[in-house]
Amino acid sequence: MFSEQAAPTAQGLLAPPTAEPPTFPRVPVRGYSDCSQPFQLGERSFSRQYAHIYAVRLAGMRPGLERRARSRWGNDIALRKLSELQAGEKCCVVGTLFKAMQLQPSILQEISEEHNLVPQPPLPKYIQASDELILEDELQRIKLEGAIDVQRLVTGTILAVYGSEQDDGRFLVEDHCFADLPPALPWNGPSSDRFVLLASGLGLGSVSGEALLSTQLLVDVVTGQLGAEGEQSCAAHITRVILAGNLLSQNTQSRDTINKAKYLTKKTQAASVEAVKMLDEILLQLCSSVPVDVMPGEFDPTNYTLPQQPLHRCMLPLASAYATLRLVTNPYQANLDGVRFLGTSGQNISDIFKYSSMDDYLEILEWTLQAGHISPTAPDTLGCYPFYKSDPFILTECPHVYFCGNAPQFQSKLLQGKEGQRVLLVTVPDFSATQTACLVNLRDLTCQPITFSSFGADSED
Amino acid sequence: MADELYLENIDEFVTDQNRVVTYKWLSFTLGVHVNQAKQMLYDYVERKRKENSGAQLHVTYLVAGNLLQNGHVCHKVAVVREDKLEAMKSKLSTIASVHVYSIQKALLKDSSPLYNTDYDIVKTNLQHCSKFSAISCAAAVPRAPPDAPPAPASAQGPQRQRDPDDASALNGHGPPAAKPPPQQHRGIMGMFAAKAASKPQDTPKEAKAEAKEAPGVSAASSKPPTKNSIMNNFFGKAAMNKLKGNSVPEQRKEEKEVVKPSVAVAEPESSPNSVAEKPGKKTESARIQQKDRKSKTKRADTSDDEEERDPENVKKKRKRIKQLQSDSSDEE
Repeated sequence: MFSEQAAPTAQGLLAPPTAEPPTFPRVPVRGYSDCSQPFQLGERSFSRQYAHIYAVRLAGMRPGLERRARSRWGNDIALRKLSELQAGEKCCVVGTLFKAMQLQPSILQEISEEHNLVPQPPLPKYIQASDELILEDELQRIKLEGAIDVQRLVTGTILAVYGSEQDDGRFLVEDHCFADLPPALPWNGPSSDRFVLLASGLGLGSVSGEALLSTQLLVDVVTGQLGAEGEQSCAAHITRVILAGNLLSQNTQSRDTINKAKYLTKKTQAASVEAVKMLDEILLQLCSSVPVDVMPGEFDPTNYTLPQQPLHRCMLPLASAYATLRLVTNPYQANLDGVRFLGTSGQNISDIFKYSSMDDYLEILEWTLQAGHISPTAPDTLGCYPFYKSDPFILTECPHVYFCGNAPQFQSKLLQGKEGQRVLLVTVPDFSATQTACLVNLRDLTCQPITFSSFGADSED
Repeated sequence: MADELYLENIDEFVTDQNRVVTYKWLSFTLGVHVNQAKQMLYDYVERKRKENSGAQLHVTYLVAGNLLQNGHVCHKVAVVREDKLEAMKSKLSTIASVHVYSIQKALLKDSSPLYNTDYDIVKTNLQHCSKFSAISCAAAVPRAPPDAPPAPASAQGPQRQRDPDDASALNGHGPPAAKPPPQQHRGIMGMFAAKAASKPQDTPKEAKAEAKEAPGVSAASSKPPTKNSIMNNFFGKAAMNKLKGNSVPEQRKEEKEVVKPSVAVAEPESSPNSVAEKPGKKTESARIQQKDRKSKTKRADTSDDEEERDPENVKKKRKRIKQLQSDSSDEE
């Protein structure tokens, strides 16, 4: 989208200096409102059990699922609770899924003395053929078998199953359905080209300096330093930059100093200190030119459980002097120019990847939208705050752009829902590995990857 | 001609000083728009090559355009050496821009000198890094200093489990002043309540004047020692050990009676933040205060306007940290 408009003046700068080069004003933000209030935790208390979050999740999603079940299997189907099941009767049950996996890391097994086990090393996937699905509702649970893909589903999903209870006490599933896409939001997007740059996984503080020049090129393109005039004027249409997590690299997470003797570690600094300073400088360059939303990720200095709270502004003294810097939560939801964005830094998707047979991040992203919940595996395998009043991860409105950060590669898809929903699904790739970011055009919900490269000692291309 | 001065400048940078001259570096050094800098570099290369075809000059270019990759059209931005320029241009289906990125005498093996040059020049010009850029953003204005502490409403929540560092930002609006008094009238602690209650009420007024804090603190530190013995009687040995085990008075959650071993961050950093909830903690903190041989302001008191105290606190914190370091080296 950039290139066509920029092409005419592409070679314009291969010339002697002209008089006054133009400066393009950045397209102002027409309307911005932050809708992440449900993800902002005020006072936190961890004295509650996690059972409550499942209870509110089920209570919150049950009405929608019952409606879906009726529309799918007929208005006259019997909706039963597990305690009301009668053997042989075809009915529909709404409940929470639990997948019993043998390979799932269990802290109790690890510390149990009778097993004497070495803790299991992290595996890419924990699924096995012997996994079983169990449906739970408020009071009871029942094993599921039949027309249901055990490998694909994950714990914590709310779904409706249609079938009957067998004599051996298991439920034979004939069909199942999810909450499906939530109702659509009205479209109020801009009529001219406006771009939002999505990038994630900057990975500062890593040992290798490969991606540093690419990061600098990214900043330069956005701030309008790089490129010929045509490209710079296109870059002025970038109204926002969203950094979706993992601004720091995993290398900054090492905590060797804890195990070492004090005299060895007296003057050492945590690796993240230097990395955050670098981040501050990069953000300063960006913020002096474009509004930036910074979401924390898995390796960033904020809390571990979802929803992650915004990074603290004291860590970014230079950049937070600008009003264009916004430190936001993970997951993040906002209305940009009338387009609703919703996205995470990728922990929810990568967690589902580990416990499901689905391999494609885009497929998983679409599946979470179909299941009506951003992160069903929380709190089972993904850390989560013990909510008890309501589950903020339930999708109540269909966003226009749904993204996840730190994916292995860039993928995007425009999904059309049955009720007129139109969602652009974007998996934002990890910048430190792929040097790719995404440009979303708000006018027509298209997305283009933008790749940066430099020449190394071994120039391949 | 005055206009041609830049040619001499570039010549000097490249040949005499043997620098890597990137467009950004030139733009900041000469104080010109980035596009002008790019054009200047190009002009220099052309002229130099015309007069002396054997010139020791290596150029890198920036090429950007559309590239078909993995099934989608991706916008590629690449820095290439001169010898690879045509190859890259032919790979791109549409070229969006081409310009000179840098000039240097030596042939570059990789792009780290480019990155370093740009990094250094930006570092020295951080405050106006977008001055010569082609895009100006009207919204990018520095926040006015009094506005600096954001969203006090949300700040009150996280205050309870704050980190020691965020003293200024979150506590800027002094809500903790209201919290301590109700907490202190609990059971056995009731006897401390009178003394403790007076302190938080005094401290909001004192908070404004740094100077007054010292006498306030010394008064506080003199009081707790007498309480120590009373505390001992009440709690008995086990509880006292538990209290001692708390090396650092740290983040408190008001509801929790149990004194948990808290995060061992440098003590001074916690001081402005702890809320005077329980005199028991105050005692322990006062003891530690004395251990430190330095009267720190309002350890167990309300933290009101942290911002004003902050600069001094920061200084005190630094001194305190140094002292601790000297302690550990003494032990060695």
